[in-house]
Amino acid sequence: MIAVVVVRDGLLPAGGAEVMAECEGRGVLIGSQPSVAAEALRGVATDLTLVECDSFQPAAFAEALVPLLADQSIVVLPASPDGRDLAPRLAAALRRPLHAGAIAVNAQRVDLVRNGGRDLHRVVPEAAFIATLQPGARGVVADELLPAPATRNVAFRATAVVDVAVTAVLPPDPATIDLAEAARIVGGGAGLDGADRMMQLADIGRKLGASVGATRVVTDRGWAAHERQIGTTGVVVAPQLYIAFGVAGAVQHTSGLGDPAHIVSVNTDPHCPMMQLADLAIVADANATLDALQELLS
Amino acid sequence: MSSANRTTEVVVCLKWVFQADEPSDARFAGMSPADHAALELALQWATHIGGQVTAITVGPAQADAVLREALACGATRAVRIDTANGVSSADVASAIASVARHAAWVWCGDYSIDNGSGSVPGYLAAALQASQALGVLGVTFESGSIVATRRVDGGRREVLDVQAPAVISVEGATARLRRASLTAMRAAASAPIEVVAPSIVMRTSEHIAHTYRPRARALASPTGAEALDRVRSLTAAGTSSAAHEVETLEPADAAARIVQTLREWGYL
Amino acid sequence: MNENVNENVNDCDVIVVGGGPAGSCAAIVAARAGLSVVLLERGPFPGSKNMYGGVVYPRILDELIPNWWEEAPIQRWVTRRSTMLLTDTQALTVDFRTEAWGKAPYNGATAYRPDFDHWLASHAEAAGAQLLTSTTVTGLLRDDKGVVVGVTTDRPDGDLRARVVIACDGVNSFLAKQAGLYTHTDVKHFTLGVKETLALPKEVIDERFGVRGREGVDIEIIGCTGGVNGGGFVYTNLDTVAVGVVLKIAKLAGQALRPEQIIATLKAHPAIAPLIEGGEVKEYSAHVIPEAGLAMMPKMISDGMLVAGDAAALCLAAGIWLEGVNFAMASGMYAGEAAVEAVRAGDVSAQGLRGYQRRLSDTFVLQDHRKLRRAPELVLSDRVQHLYPQMVANVVERMFRIDNPQPKPGLRRILKQERKRAGIRRRDLIRDGLTGFRSYG
Ligand SMILES: Cc1cc2nc3c(=O)[nH]c(=O)nc-3n(C[C@H](O)[C@H](O)[C@H](O)COP(=O)(O)OP(=O)(O)OC[C@H]3O[C@@H](n4cnc5c(N)ncnc54)[C@H](O)[C@@H]3O)c2cc1C
Ligand SMILES: Cc1cc2nc3c(=O)[nH]c(=O)nc-3n(C[C@H](O)[C@H](O)[C@H](O)COP(=O)(O)OP(=O)(O)OC[C@H]3O[C@@H](n4cnc5c(N)ncnc54)[C@H](O)[C@@H]3O)c2cc1C
Ligand SMILES: Nc1ncnc2c1ncn2[C@@H]1O[C@H](COP(=O)(O)O)[C@@H](O)[C@H]1O
Repeated sequence: MIAVVVVRDGLLPAGGAEVMAECEGRGVLIGSQPSVAAEALRGVATDLTLVECDSFQPAAFAEALVPLLADQSIVVLPASPDGRDLAPRLAAALRRPLHAGAIAVNAQRVDLVRNGGRDLHRVVPEAAFIATLQPGARGVVADELLPAPATRNVAFRATAVVDVAVTAVLPPDPATIDLAEAARIVGGGAGLDGADRMMQLADIGRKLGASVGATRVVTDRGWAAHERQIGTTGVVVAPQLYIAFGVAGAVQHTSGLGDPAHIVSVNTDPHCPMMQLADLAIVADANATLDALQELLS
Repeated sequence: MSSANRTTEVVVCLKWVFQADEPSDARFAGMSPADHAALELALQWATHIGGQVTAITVGPAQADAVLREALACGATRAVRIDTANGVSSADVASAIASVARHAAWVWCGDYSIDNGSGSVPGYLAAALQASQALGVLGVTFESGSIVATRRVDGGRREVLDVQAPAVISVEGATARLRRASLTAMRAAASAPIEVVAPSIVMRTSEHIAHTYRPRARALASPTGAEALDRVRSLTAAGTSSAAHEVETLEPADAAARIVQTLREWGYL
Repeated sequence: MNENVNENVNDCDVIVVGGGPAGSCAAIVAARAGLSVVLLERGPFPGSKNMYGGVVYPRILDELIPNWWEEAPIQRWVTRRSTMLLTDTQALTVDFRTEAWGKAPYNGATAYRPDFDHWLASHAEAAGAQLLTSTTVTGLLRDDKGVVVGVTTDRPDGDLRARVVIACDGVNSFLAKQAGLYTHTDVKHFTLGVKETLALPKEVIDERFGVRGREGVDIEIIGCTGGVNGGGFVYTNLDTVAVGVVLKIAKLAGQALRPEQIIATLKAHPAIAPLIEGGEVKEYSAHVIPEAGLAMMPKMISDGMLVAGDAAALCLAAGIWLEGVNFAMASGMYAGEAAVEAVRAGDVSAQGLRGYQRRLSDTFVLQDHRKLRRAPELVLSDRVQHLYPQMVANVVERMFRIDNPQPKPGLRRILKQERKRAGIRRRDLIRDGLTGFRSYG
């Protein structure tokens, strides 16, 4: 098994360390300043191949990786934005099946998250395949005693394939930073019954000194702006306290949640993942609870 | 097909899916929000460049519903590649590619709500030898190209200059689908849909389904942007979850319980 | 030919507004007769938002869909019908069951409306009607003489013209009102239906209700509606039980009680609780019911337009009967037939459409209503609601109570004592008895 992680400016993506751990420390870092990222993998990675290339070019990356991966039967990428984009191209270039959105990968078994985090599909994989691993699903233990990983550099060879041109990389939105750095977050999910609930949530958030976050279902409905979305394709946050209203807790959401010291979840379904993660899990209608909470706090 | 046509041929890939809140009811099935956005942008882009939109779906006869919706909204051609539901993403993409070989612009949703791998667009780009702009949050139309903003890690965004041929996948809130006119809806109800047999044997995935349960985590991964946050999240990891409680409460009691617990935890 | 309507500008022959039972039946009839029909429904599919108690009597479909029972999406066949009289602590039940209703041609059935309505509408489509969903009709189009010539919708470019518009848009019909067909509406003519659907395993339902296979139970309840005049019901589906109450809106407004509290009281009644114990609430819904029957019916015919189903207040809500779907299907069919007749004859004026009125009058649709015209008032009267149940229950309780060493009292004496105790005047009892006898007898 070997991990492939796209690196930008020496930074690892969400889930970068986890795929490395899933593949027992062996991996390829491709992108800008992979050697800086290799440092951050100390205690996790043992054996790294570094491919330096200034910008993210999925088609060209796939071509360049083929010779490096041809005799590796299992290739795992993080299901972060870049990993998700590269994986199908790599699968096509290597002519191998892709199992996207896994929470566990090994030669015998791949567990895939499906239906918006409701179901787990257990697959017996082919001999050689590619998978993407959901960030946050497995966790990592850094082994302090492990020596720095052995690294080897491989030159990036440009090919004739077409990729889009990146014209700029914008820093996170100020609003995103507000959320990313918030110590307390109140989050709203599809269990809320309308856009107004997000306003109500903001009001309650103010009273609790908390920022407002949302799930993808909520931002897709336009009830909250994009920069409020917590998760793999949203903002990665690291609050101390997370209070979730009507949030199912799909792995794509919780992977962006960090590891709050305290989680409260209000949901009508006692069995959903968010309730299992919560320190205080309350089975109740989130909407009516918001009404009551707003009243109580005013 | 002439090269002039080639640069104006716009395709949108629409998947017929069961909606999350009505999982087993086909009558509620339809496009995902992301596919709605893709359709709207495909239509706007086609108008912008003077082209026409072909809507393609891979699925069973019931999937015609999404094509009719696309036709009612302004697509001019609709193709269904006839398969069962649950075909592998690679095969879906190659089936679409065989119909959309000459397309200059292919619009997709970011991910489908059931399968949710977001891999069809990437596969499509590979099969069409096109460039890809995936997980796009916003677009600006230039004269013959598109400036797309895409989200990358850490809340940053990337601005892309997209030239044909390209596959663009968009998130659900990127655009709101227009409302079809009554006349167009009536016309779409009886408009022809081209039904194509797949040229290859389609594979469906074999799996055992379970209810999703989070995997036991070795330890929280260090996710904070700052080193200090990472240390904090690492050290806080073991200490969290004093006692896991599940309580069924009336709303007023639930609110009171939350406030009381926040006090106990020292937040209030 | 009717000069008011210019043939060229018509988009179709008949527009049917509303894909409920009335609308679909109207569309089936008109489309089968070869007319071009557009059926407009505001929901994502017919029935998607429709609710009711849960029992339907589809006998009327015999003609339209022969052997409908072989294909209709029904949950259970009603083979057991009970009427319950409840006080806070007592219950008197008249229970009837028959094997006959459990086999073809059947009688009543429980069914989910999204299934049933969707199924009926699919017959309309099969007959050639064009169904347009997620489209709300927002008004009527009229020509300069005021004749209805079409509808406006909430879609861009949304006007649609036809020779006849059949309004089947349900209770409080916006279209019938816009056409000026309702002379007055009065809140006292409406009741509020509130229903909870509780999930229980099929075996548990079978056991508790004493049925098997596809057999089902229909329980109508008088009393135990928390001081608000109304009634209740319990119906069995395959793996859910519907529990609901129908409440007089005027009375409800005067009480501090919320409908869900009244359902909760009913669910906690010693006669009901064991039936539904452990059921998980899957759905809660509420809807207004036109209840006053003949007293509130609008004009159902005007130039270029017919009104059917709940839109015409044709629902029969008379205590132990709560039927609307069968009245809706029948009136829809008759409206469809009348429209066909009128279009063929080239006269879609109110005069040309009068065949509708004749059909309604000749059949159960209006005959039942005539017969039962006093029933709703009676059933919802304070006496029937609050005094009689207590009196009757007490009488029965004393009849069956063994008070040894006291000898058994005579029925007549008990009756008299209990009537007095309940504060019922003899005169009222006799009058109500007569009204009841005339209505139900
Ligand atoms: C490639 C990809 C990327 C993704 N990226 C993200 C991401 O970045 N962020 C993200 O959040 N998601 C993301 N998702 C989507 C994710 O898979 C889930 O679909 C989403 O997180 C679910 O949001 P939800 O919990 O709001 O909605 P649902 O899954 O619909 O859950 C709603 C919850 O509300 C509860 N509920 C319903 N009614 C009530 C009520 N009255 N009171 C209380 N509770 C109620 C329900 O029990 C349920 O648990 C991504 C998916 C994919 C495939
Ligand atoms: C709580 C309750 C319990 C009941 N129990 C029973 C029972 O057990 N058995 C029984 O037979 N009857 C029962 N009824 C009565 C029954 O539900 C109605 O009589 C019946 O549904 C009437 O059918 P309809 O087709 O006239 O109207 P509806 O079923 O109300 O259908 C109207 C249709 O029109 C559509 N519509 C409305 N306005 C517009 C518009 N502007 N544009 C487009 N579409 C529109 C609606 O979406 C709907 O699909 C009950 C009613 C209630 C409220
Ligand atoms: N069966 C299909 N038919 C048409 N388009 C599809 C199909 N499956 C996926 N797509 C497109 O690919 C996008 C991402 O889907 P997925 O890769 O399944 O997450 C969808 O939003 C669609 O635009």
